[in-house]
Amino acid sequence: MNVRMMVPLALGIAAAACSNLPRSRDLGNPEVSGATLARQVCSNCHGVTGDSISPNMPKLAAQQREYLSAQLRGFRSHSRRDPAGFEYMWGISRSLTDKQIEELADYYAAQTMARAVSPVSANERGHALFAAGAPDRGVPPCSSCHGDQGQGNGKFPRLAGQHADYLVKQLTVFQRTDERPEGAIMKVVAHALTRDDIEAAAAYLQDSR
Amino acid sequence: MRATRFPGMSVVLLVFCALQPFDASALPAFARQTGQNCMACHAGGQFPELTPYGRLFKLTGYTLGERSAVPFSAMAVASDSHVQNTSKSDDSKADFQKNNSLIFATASAFAAGKITDNLGAFLQVTYDNYASQSDDGKFHGHTSADNMDIRYADRSIDEHRDIIFGVSANNNPSVADVWNSAPAWMQYVPVPSPTSSSFIDGNAPYPGYAAGGNLAGLTGYLFWNQQIYAEIGAYRSATGIAGFMSAGVADAEKIRLQGSNPYWRLAWNHGWGAHSLMFGTSGMNAKIFDDPLDTADASTVHRFRDIGFDAQYQYLLDPHTLTVQAAYMHDNHRYPAFLADQAASDAAGNPLPNTNARDHLDVFRAKATYVYAARYGASLGFFNQTGSTNSALYDSTRVYGNISANPAVRGLTSEIFWTPVQYARIGLQFTAYGKYNGATHNYDGAGRNASDNNSVFLYFWGAY
Repeated sequence: MNVRMMVPLALGIAAAACSNLPRSRDLGNPEVSGATLARQVCSNCHGVTGDSISPNMPKLAAQQREYLSAQLRGFRSHSRRDPAGFEYMWGISRSLTDKQIEELADYYAAQTMARAVSPVSANERGHALFAAGAPDRGVPPCSSCHGDQGQGNGKFPRLAGQHADYLVKQLTVFQRTDERPEGAIMKVVAHALTRDDIEAAAAYLQDSR
Repeated sequence: MRATRFPGMSVVLLVFCALQPFDASALPAFARQTGQNCMACHAGGQFPELTPYGRLFKLTGYTLGERSAVPFSAMAVASDSHVQNTSKSDDSKADFQKNNSLIFATASAFAAGKITDNLGAFLQVTYDNYASQSDDGKFHGHTSADNMDIRYADRSIDEHRDIIFGVSANNNPSVADVWNSAPAWMQYVPVPSPTSSSFIDGNAPYPGYAAGGNLAGLTGYLFWNQQIYAEIGAYRSATGIAGFMSAGVADAEKIRLQGSNPYWRLAWNHGWGAHSLMFGTSGMNAKIFDDPLDTADASTVHRFRDIGFDAQYQYLLDPHTLTVQAAYMHDNHRYPAFLADQAASDAAGNPLPNTNARDHLDVFRAKATYVYAARYGASLGFFNQTGSTNSALYDSTRVYGNISANPAVRGLTSEIFWTPVQYARIGLQFTAYGKYNGATHNYDGAGRNASDNNSVFLYFWGAY
């Protein structure tokens, strides 16, 4: 192609491309819907249905909408400041409107968690912590707040199906830092958990659906 | 090996220690646009290697995020090179300029980021502080166009399919690519120009296209379900309205292509868990004028046919980053008639075989890198170039000569680096040669061995 043709071509493309609301990746435009942002932006890490591939990024499918909304607001206000939060999410959330946040929460809450690839492992220790806790150490069962299937409840997030690595890292954040003040209750819950406890519970929850 | 000296290193360290972490609002252009850390897009914070997310950011035309009011960035490099043996030289000051000297090597300015919902750009110009040298020995700096990529992209995505497609106007074959094993990106950077750095890894063989950079190309691409990537396009000389893509490059140093020259790329990509894997192939046919100042005579054209295969594996799970790349390029070169089958002789006047009408060159590279917490990194690389012996390569110049007339070069590079804050990095690199200019021993005919070129390279890189 003659290079002289590039200018009109480029100008034509630019003129046609100034705004593309249905497929925009503009995080500073309040007109872009939450569903569009979920597909065009958030899917890069969390998957288009919230079923993220990388354990670096949490699965959001079928997550509690109240929890999702609170987290996005926490990122936006910088009140949630764990590394995974500020490295990836502070910037992404900085200009989201309340409406977009609610739409994003609705989008992921409406998704279905994919079925486990492998059958639930015979992880008795993880199951015991989830269902009964460790009363002798003052650790309540996870299910008491997160639901008997780990499905979550309002501001208490769904844990079932979540990446074990993500759960381990977040439990460690709760246990050792104050970087997630909205989950301060978890500092008390996780206080007495050993590393082996955390890994067992996380592995059990990853295999749950 | 002799002890390595780095005069001025203390100054670097002082400046280094004085650096305070940048605050969150002081980010290079793309990070300002997305508000994210560099490590979101760059594997372990190492540049230019992209994460799966970084690949999608680029393929969607740099349009993710908020358009920045100030879409500019800059980076600068100070470095110090040490060649193992400078004694086997007739004029070591000329052959190894600035050896063991801390220099301000290069700097780049970038205009980069989102323009519209579908249009974005990455434009780099680079200043070389040692670009040329006058008769009095003084160096002179010069600025010229570097990598440029202006693209239009769109994405159709739902639960059933994900199709990213676009068009890129760029000046370097494979600069539009998103895997670090592509010729434009598989590199140890930086590469300063003083001759003391002639043997650092950045100047060792890399798989690449004969046409080089500073061209004018238009490519169309498609990324289907984050699994199949296909790109096809053509490159021409960067003239006329596309002249900005070779701005600052001297006319005598520009690549002048005859007509449109096809480029293609095909890759298979797969991600699972913390892993991602790519296998790819690419190629380019190029017709290059022998003399860039004389493009009137079609019989002076060199014809190149390049075909490459490459692969990349990444394991990214905070705080660990492990990446491995391998790339191979086969190059066929057909000379214009006036250069083929020509009589040749060595330095003593003894006849050599006539020059070749065709040559081939094979370059293989492999590199593995581990980075901890996007802060501490180490890598090991291997390179091997082989090719046909051609009397046209015969050169009896000391240090830089080649008396075997064979292009073989082989070696290993290792590097350790530290990234104390995400916009600053200090690296120490060592390159060792098993073969240089066709031979292990006495490659220049004056007793210089490949291992005499072993080099240590210290650099300090900063960006804003």
